[in-house]
Amino acid sequence: MKAARAGRRRLSRDERLAYMLLLPALGAVFVIVTIPFVLVIIQSISAEDGTLVGFRNYSRALANPLLYDAIRATGVYSLIVLPTEILLGLTFALLVHRTVRPQGLRAAIYVLAILPLVVPPVAIGVVGRLVYAPSYGVLNVILERIGFVHHEVNWLGDPTLAMLAVASVDIWQWTPFVYLVLFSGLQTVPRESVEAAQIDGADWWAQFRYIDLFYLRPLFLLIVFFRLADVLRVFDHVFILTGGGPGTTTQLLSLYMYRVEFKYFDSGQAAALAVLVLVSFSILYRLISRALPLERT
Amino acid sequence: MRGAVSRAILLRTALAVLALGTAGVLYGFPLYWLFVTSLKSKAELFASSVHLVPHNPTLAAYSSVLIERGFWVLLKNSVIVCFSTVVVTLVLGLLITYPITRLPVPPRLRVNILIWALSLRFLPPIAVVIPYFAIVRTLQIYDQPIALIGIYSLFNLPFAIWMLKGFLEEIPLELEDAALVDGANRWIAFWRVLLPLAAPGVMAAGIIVFTFAWSEFLFALILTATPNSQTFPVGVQGLVTQFEIIWNDMAASGVIAMTLPLVLMVIGRRYIVAGLTFGVIREK
Repeated sequence: MKAARAGRRRLSRDERLAYMLLLPALGAVFVIVTIPFVLVIIQSISAEDGTLVGFRNYSRALANPLLYDAIRATGVYSLIVLPTEILLGLTFALLVHRTVRPQGLRAAIYVLAILPLVVPPVAIGVVGRLVYAPSYGVLNVILERIGFVHHEVNWLGDPTLAMLAVASVDIWQWTPFVYLVLFSGLQTVPRESVEAAQIDGADWWAQFRYIDLFYLRPLFLLIVFFRLADVLRVFDHVFILTGGGPGTTTQLLSLYMYRVEFKYFDSGQAAALAVLVLVSFSILYRLISRALPLERT
Repeated sequence: MRGAVSRAILLRTALAVLALGTAGVLYGFPLYWLFVTSLKSKAELFASSVHLVPHNPTLAAYSSVLIERGFWVLLKNSVIVCFSTVVVTLVLGLLITYPITRLPVPPRLRVNILIWALSLRFLPPIAVVIPYFAIVRTLQIYDQPIALIGIYSLFNLPFAIWMLKGFLEEIPLELEDAALVDGANRWIAFWRVLLPLAAPGVMAAGIIVFTFAWSEFLFALILTATPNSQTFPVGVQGLVTQFEIIWNDMAASGVIAMTLPLVLMVIGRRYIVAGLTFGVIREK
């Protein structure tokens, strides 16, 4: 009966405590997140001297052909990196799951796979330099020694090769992540259904196609979500390795925006770009996050 | 029949060994090369032929980076910034996750907080740093560690919230209730009962936040200018984009940058994947 008079019911002590803890913490975070948003919107409709100019910054940003180069570069990068990482990660997850039996060896592979994930991207960029750099890169040295090439390949100077070099660094660092997620997914496949399938004469492909894939499917979404969030923000190792060059071929979106703000000092256009990116990312987020298999209760 | 089966198994094992071996070399060699280069002397750098194994290894590059270039200051900045970030993030994280896991809050509020935290994960840093840069200059905290600590805490909070939520949920409510019945107040029940039980999880979250903050480069590049607040990755970048690259110094700086995360990873290895996937993937 008392509960029926809800609405005006006094909050219990525990509930009051909950709000007393949540409100300041969430409030602080909310303010810290919101102020930049408001500011960037104001900045995006103002000129350098602070006068309002309407959507002029937006039309300048959208009319700049470099923006489309950056979007294209980001798209190409994602299209190289995501499928490769997922395919390689899946292959290795299946390979280890099916062929590596000793627990010790599995544990060792687990630790080795984690290794690249915690290496700072800047350090990975340094490794990339040591491998690909003209005149000192070790890749050319090795290729020449085994007689594969006879004159130096300019890995970072050729548009296609530079993109591949930059992508290879990402693949190097993040394939293990895909592997780890999918491998732990494979551990959840019930042994009985695998055995039943084997008795029915299912070959390994059928096993994968009809059993494993069923358990892995939600994880693919998860991988795409987290990898996409990272791939779209890639900056560090590209900045170190090519700085966006040659020309603008590896100038991904975040490198382009960095350049507009901190090299061309065009803060109006940079703010307009920031707003556009924030809006399109939140739309993208909405599209993907609905399908995510996260527990939400 | 028997022979065919065992041959198939042999073939499969050979293929597996080949694939894993290739992957091992592709993963090991670049890191090996980084390490070898960092041990080279200046003289060996300019030798006409490149050696794949070090001749006369020396630690000269390390002392050159840390002492002569003064990068130990950047290392110190990194430690200060990362440690403060961990403290701020964990406190904020606990302030948010304690009520939503232990106290009666409406389920919708709880779900909304979690989803909102997840959405922060998708926030592109470059779009945030442009307005944040303006704020930092207005507040006159440009080139000060606090500017980095603030933005690092914000960007690591989603991880912390999801990880801490996972760990706190696993601790039975009854344990605290027992303490409360015995006359302890909420704070004591939290401090004496819940926190010690959650300590491994809180530590794990701390390690992960520390590692992420340690690796961060974009914010540090933009928000710092001098050794007053520059973090180590900014120093590494400085060595790379110089007109003439000193390869062994650059390699040494790379090795130094990855040492601490690797050591921490050994401690927190069971939680890394959980952290990266917001607790969806849990290692046993």
